[in-house]
This record gives sequence, C-alpha cells and structure tokens, in this order.
Amino acid sequence: MTEVSILSLVKRYGTALAVNDVTLKVNHGEFVSLLGPSGCGKSTTLKCIAGFETVSDGRILFDGHDISNREPEDRDIGMVFQSYALFPHMTVAGNLAFGLEMRRVARDEINRRVADVMELVQLSQYAGRYPRELSGGQQQRVALARALVIEPAILLLDEPLANLDAKLRDEMRTFIRDLQKRVGITTLYVTHDQGEAMTMSDRVVVMFDGRIAQAAAPEDVYDRPASEAVARFVGNANILTGTVEAGADGAPGLRFGSEGTLLRLPAALPAGTAPGRGLRVMARPEQVRLTAPGAGDATGTVVSHYFNGGFIDYRVRVGADEIMVHAPTADRFADGAAVGLAFDAGRLWPLEGAA
Amino acid sequence: MSGLFRRHFLILPAAALLFLFVMLPYVNVLVMSLRAPSDSTPYGEGFSAGGYVKLFSDPYYFEALGQTLWLGVLTAFVCFLLGLPIALHISQASRRWRGLLYGIVLSPLLVGIVVRSYGWTILLGNTGVINATLRNLGLIERPLPLMYNSFGIVVALAHVFLPFMVLPVLGALQGLDPAVGSAARSLGASRFTVFRRITLPLAMPGIQSGAILVFVLAVSSYVTPALVGGMRVKTMTVMVVDALIDQFQWPFGSALALSLAVSAGVIVLVFARLTRMKWK
Repeated sequence: MTEVSILSLVKRYGTALAVNDVTLKVNHGEFVSLLGPSGCGKSTTLKCIAGFETVSDGRILFDGHDISNREPEDRDIGMVFQSYALFPHMTVAGNLAFGLEMRRVARDEINRRVADVMELVQLSQYAGRYPRELSGGQQQRVALARALVIEPAILLLDEPLANLDAKLRDEMRTFIRDLQKRVGITTLYVTHDQGEAMTMSDRVVVMFDGRIAQAAAPEDVYDRPASEAVARFVGNANILTGTVEAGADGAPGLRFGSEGTLLRLPAALPAGTAPGRGLRVMARPEQVRLTAPGAGDATGTVVSHYFNGGFIDYRVRVGADEIMVHAPTADRFADGAAVGLAFDAGRLWPLEGAA
Repeated sequence: MSGLFRRHFLILPAAALLFLFVMLPYVNVLVMSLRAPSDSTPYGEGFSAGGYVKLFSDPYYFEALGQTLWLGVLTAFVCFLLGLPIALHISQASRRWRGLLYGIVLSPLLVGIVVRSYGWTILLGNTGVINATLRNLGLIERPLPLMYNSFGIVVALAHVFLPFMVLPVLGALQGLDPAVGSAARSLGASRFTVFRRITLPLAMPGIQSGAILVFVLAVSSYVTPALVGGMRVKTMTVMVVDALIDQFQWPFGSALALSLAVSAGVIVLVFARLTRMKWK
C-alpha cells in the first residue's frame, strides 16, 4: 500500500492552465474519486500521476519519494483506461502476463499469478480468447486484472465504466469497489459521473477549472457542499435565496420567496451571518416534503411531475422560484394543484458567500 | 439464389472485368505456352511442353527466374526498412504536417516511369552524378558499380514502390488506440519494448499487405529493370519481352511469363501463410 501526495501540482498547455495548484493526499488503501465536468483537469491530474503528462510545477510523491520526473514504466502504477486499451494481438492470458514479463518474473510464477487474477475477476475460462472475442464487460475485467496482477503501488482508473451500458455499469461499480477493498490498494478514480463517485469512494474530490472545489467524504460533499457550484454538480439542488431574520423564538430564520415565508435555519451558520444579511441555503429535492396547502413552511403550485419508478419528481412554483421535490409515490399531486412545502430544517445547508 | 445475388451484385462489374481482361488472357497465355514452337511463325501447329523444358533445363533462364524473385523480396524488404519509420512518423504527426508528408511520400508516383528510370541512370551511371562527384573529390579512382546490377535495380524500384509500403502500414498504425501504448508503458515497458512488443506486431497487417504489393509490383516491373539493369542483369520481364517481340517465340515467352506469375503467386501465398495473424 502506498500513500500518494500531490503537492501544488500545475499543468500548463501554452498559457492555458489545465491543472491549477492542486494539492491532495491519498492515504494508504484509500479510494479517492476525482469528479468534475469534462475539461476540469481531473484526467490531466491522473495523467500527471501516471507519467503520461509532464508536470509544469509542483511535485508528486509516492510514500514520500518524488516520482514527478520518472518515466511511466518506472512508477509502479496499474492503470485502467476508458477504452480498456487491451493488446489486441495477445490473448487474455497474454495481456495479463505482459506486466509480469516486463518485471522479469519467472515463467511458472507468471502462470500462477495470471491464473489467480483470472479467478479474481472470474475470467478463467477465457484465458485463450483474444480481446475482440470478449464483451465490453469482460474486456473491462481483463483491463482491471491486467492492472492488478502486477501488484502496483497504486491503481489509477480513467473513466473505466464510461463505455458500458447502464446495467453493467452498476454491476461493475460494486465489483470494482469490492475488489479494491479486498486487495486494499490505494486507488484514484476519475469520473464525471457523480453517482459512481458517491457509491465507490472513501473520499470525493470535486474539481472545477483545474482546481479542487471540495475534497471530502461522499456524505459531506452531498449534504455539506463547499459552494453552490459543488451543490449543483453533485446531485440536484434547490438554492433558496433570502434574508436572515430572527424568528419569534429568537432562532435565526430565512425569509425567502415573494410570499415572505420564514424558514427555520440550522443552528450552525457561516461566519458573518447576521439578521438583515442575504443568505443562500441549499435543500436537496428529497429533503423537501409535499403537504396539504398551508401546512408546510411555504405554499406553491405544482408545475410538472415525472414518474420515476420508485419516486415522483415534482417541480413546484413558489413565488419566482421553482423548487424540485423528490417525493415518494404515495404523495400524489396533479399539475396545477396548490401544495404546501415542508423543509427539513436540520438538513438545510447554508452556502458560503453573500447572496 | 436471389439472396445470394442481392448480397454480391455490387462486385459483378469488377468480377466481369477481371474475368474478361485477366482470367481469359491468362487462359490464352496458358494455351499459348503449350503451343509448338516454329521458326517462321510466332507458333507452330500442335502442342508441346518444350517451352517449360527449356526454361527449367537451361540455367540461364532458371537463374533469371530466381534472380527476379530475389530482387522482388529484396525490394519489399528495403521498402519495409525505409517505410516503417516514415509511417510511424506520419502517424504521429499533426494534421497540418500530415498532408504535406503524404504528398512527399506519393511524389515518386507523379513522375513517369521512363523519365524516372532515366533519372536513375543519370545518377547511378559510371560517369553519372554520384560517381563523378566521388571521383572529383578524390574518394574513388574507379567508378563504383551502382548500375547494371541488382543494387541499382533495387534502389530504383524501392524508390517508386515505397508508397505502396507506407500507405498500408500507416493505415494499420492509424487504426490503433493510442492508449494501448500507454497501457504497455504503465505495465513497465520502455519505449523500445512498446515498439517491439506492441506497435510492430499491430502494424503487421499493414506490413503484410505492403510487402505483398511491393513484391508483386517489383517482380512484374519491366521498364526500370530494363533501363537500370541494362544487358547485364536480365529479369524475367525483360526476357519475356525479348522472347515475344525480338525472337518472336510466343510459346516460350508465354511459358516464361506464366512461370513468373505462378512462382510469384506461390511466394505470396507462403508469405501470407507465415505471417498469418490469429488475432485479426
């Protein structure tokens, strides 16, 4: 197991900054996702760690050793590519043996380890097949096994599930996560899919414009996003803008919407929050409940609703705002109906920065 | 039957063309090669295998056949050695450069074959540019034998057939996922090992077709061996033309031509068999 430290990493292309001062520590055996929209620098960061991109500035350490200037083949990494990048002219067994041959492992040990890893990814019966004879999911597992069989210091995955269909993708998520836990390898996972990042990671690193916007446990990123951008990128978010006021009991509340509803706020508020100041608060769609009109914190009108199997996604107009509500199918309201909205005061999350 | 027709009707025009202008003439050549020779007419009455007997019993002709096939192999190999680095380079060039490099690679084909071959005689001859320059520099006393030998023929043939190697190899290389090379390096392979174990084997389909194209073209070329080889190196094509046009021996000329075609075909088949790729 290896600890990865990225210190003030900068990657420039001409004058453009692809990675702008990224500092991140990945602990022994930790699974960390780099999550962000395309062009946010997550893949470039991974390529710098792998050695396929030179570092413009900053350092990358594996267990305290600076590897920033090493060739990729000298970094002891295992990497899985979006296209899998299997060797088309080698069988499954040949693909798996390649990294061990490069390490000059004895032939009988190669055979043993290849057999072991094929068992691990349930591919033993395909040893003699060529990549083009395998399905996408099987190719994916070969790619994973090929990276793991060399027992690398760290495992790097670059959008490995992006080319799979939805059902297989869900299966592979758990497969990869379980495998990673079993092997206990330090893992960096690049994805633009927040669901993947949430379900698989110990820690999610959200990146925008070459910078880290937030690095935290999935629950924290989701429930306590560091900024409105993070809140909107990770899941759906209602952002309520209003003014802070003291309620009847003296506790702070948020006056929002044209109706001037006063929402109870959680006790912990950002520094500088005072009555009379503007504030933005995030409420996740599933943290809002639909009630009879007048019973909740605010009243609105249903604009649209979409049945989604286990849930119904409502859009409710409250004054000038439209609030998304992710409601259980037991709550049924027609479009145009007047409804009440009840917010979960304990889980409202005040966002940093002035409204 | 109609299903078969619907699936294959697009190749009908080409198939008809091949049948009329390749298959039938070959049959004609085969029949002609078995005609009896004659001193007064192109061929005589009746049939005889005399042409083939002469070819395989007279070392002069038999060695010429071997020499011709060897020149083809050599030309293909030289084109491979020169063409692979070119194809590798173009496959990694930016779009802007690629067009220009394509043009340079194809440029030998833009010059007529007679002009180009004469050009080589001007360069390679005993009093040609290269020998004259070396002599004037005092580096040599006698002219180097650059022409009227296999060397000159291979140089001139490789020059014009290089594009037929570069383009298929380039096609194979451009079809590769660049991540495959990166994957190999992440597994511990150096740049050279990536070339040896990944890039080269994956370029094999292109190398295979390129080698076959160049070999077939070189073996069947006439003008260049005739001009650059002169009277000293006679390839089969030159002899075929001698037999047919100068000596007016159509049966023997046909036997020569057919022997060349068949032996070249056998070599191509054996080569394709040896370089067969299971993974394709």
